[in-house]
Amino acid sequence: MSLPEATHSLAGLQREFARALQSRPGSAPGVPAFSVTRQAAAAAGLDVYRNNTRQFFWTALELTYPVVRRRVGDEYFRMLAEEYRGVHPSRRGDLHWAGVAFPAWLTGRLAGTEYAWLGELARLEWLCEESMAARREPALSVQCLASVPADRVDGLQLRLQPSLRSMASRYPVWSVWQANQGDGDAAPVDLTRGPEHCACACLDERVTVYRLEAGQARLLEALAGGAALGRAVELAGVDASTLAALLGWAFGEQLIVDVSPSVQA
Amino acid sequence: MPGGPETPRFARHPVPARAGIGLRAPHHTALVRDRPAIGWIEAHTENYFHDGGPAVRALDRARELYPLSLHGVGLGLGSADPLDREHLRRVREAVRRFEPALVSEHACWAHVDGQHFNDLLPLPHTEEAVEHLAARIRDVQDFLGRQLLIENLSAYVGYAASQLREGEFLAAVAERAGCGLLLDVNNAYVNAANLGLDVARFFADLPATAVQEIHLAGHSRRAVAGHELLIDDHGSAVPDAVWALYAQALRHFGAVPTLIEWDNAVPPLEVLVAEAHKADAILHQVHDVAA
Repeated sequence: MSLPEATHSLAGLQREFARALQSRPGSAPGVPAFSVTRQAAAAAGLDVYRNNTRQFFWTALELTYPVVRRRVGDEYFRMLAEEYRGVHPSRRGDLHWAGVAFPAWLTGRLAGTEYAWLGELARLEWLCEESMAARREPALSVQCLASVPADRVDGLQLRLQPSLRSMASRYPVWSVWQANQGDGDAAPVDLTRGPEHCACACLDERVTVYRLEAGQARLLEALAGGAALGRAVELAGVDASTLAALLGWAFGEQLIVDVSPSVQA
Repeated sequence: MPGGPETPRFARHPVPARAGIGLRAPHHTALVRDRPAIGWIEAHTENYFHDGGPAVRALDRARELYPLSLHGVGLGLGSADPLDREHLRRVREAVRRFEPALVSEHACWAHVDGQHFNDLLPLPHTEEAVEHLAARIRDVQDFLGRQLLIENLSAYVGYAASQLREGEFLAAVAERAGCGLLLDVNNAYVNAANLGLDVARFFADLPATAVQEIHLAGHSRRAVAGHELLIDDHGSAVPDAVWALYAQALRHFGAVPTLIEWDNAVPPLEVLVAEAHKADAILHQVHDVAA
């Protein structure tokens, strides 16, 4: 018995399949000619794959952006997700990173609308996602600074937990995020009340999101960029009390993992 | 003494011929706390690609308690596009970190022209696809330094271009790649309903010694575009018909490590454990009969 001849190359079949997946259900090119099953069954089978690829992508975004989803509702979120998928289709076998461009895309998509702040909220949620994927390092105690001579403190550089992220926003995104963490109705947030700065880190089972004062946020950014303490204070334009407050918070939250030149812990 | 610090200690805890469960995030805490009597666990490789975080730490703890299998869903080995080397590098990192006893992937394709569909898409059962998939598997096995198990798919369309039966296709791939096979009994059942697969012939076509793992899962029956299909959704208990097919598979392939997969509408841990114990009971029953 002779075998049926393969009339399509593997690459050709996969392109044809992809075109069928990207076509609308029931549209003319939706059922590929290569299918061995009946046309009706093939159309149904393609619908399963079409639905899977869409649903898996949506689910990845929903898991990454639960607060954005909650604020806009399921239906609108899925509309946004599908629009985003059209512009930024998945390029990787790991859907975890499918939402990397969502904050910037959302900011552009909603610019000038009453939802202009949603892109900023998405940015915070993406930083949380990055935090969740970062390793945790053993933290130093504030006692490590006790033996440092006063004239050497300005020259110290701090290394921060890999999961620590920070952002500044024109909108009160920390307040919105915080108001949407419980199961009940979210408390209303006045979106006109101005900028907020925040940081997030993941040291146990959850991400913790902190609100920072503007000076603290600038200082943290300078320290994260590698500036020594003295230089960071200059760059941030803050005084010693802001530095003390930031260091107290960072050591207390186990966010400092190394100090150089090395000091005795 | 063989195996210095640079040598990964693969199969530190070999997977026994017992039933295990798929490790899912809702069970991370309960599994380590309750330490149920199951033979082993399996984790989706891509869920543990990160440098750290709660999921990675949970798997670190769980692998100290149970033999581990890593099951990949994202390589799209049969894609005509070039292999995603970055994805593969992350698989290798996960294999080095978690030291699984088994590493598996699917006989599928997933991406074309740079676009990823993130689904397990069916391959035509052609000579070209056998050669292509086998070459990819050899490449991956060389890179990882170990054997892969390749799983049969559930499928919702077939290809007129196919020249081989599904079992013949997988047998040829296993022979040319030197890989093992992961037999998903539910997928075979779904393919029988959707595509007319002759399951007895399918089992007979597979090289018995290559089957090193079995998957069991639930499926649903759904009307799609006016046509009834079985959907391999891993969202319910293993149905009776699949249990019956499982017993047949054990008679054919011997006592093989068996996994309960439940990925959607994930139930409490004890429900999964009960399913695993049911599989254990059948495994022992059939093994005794065979003996």
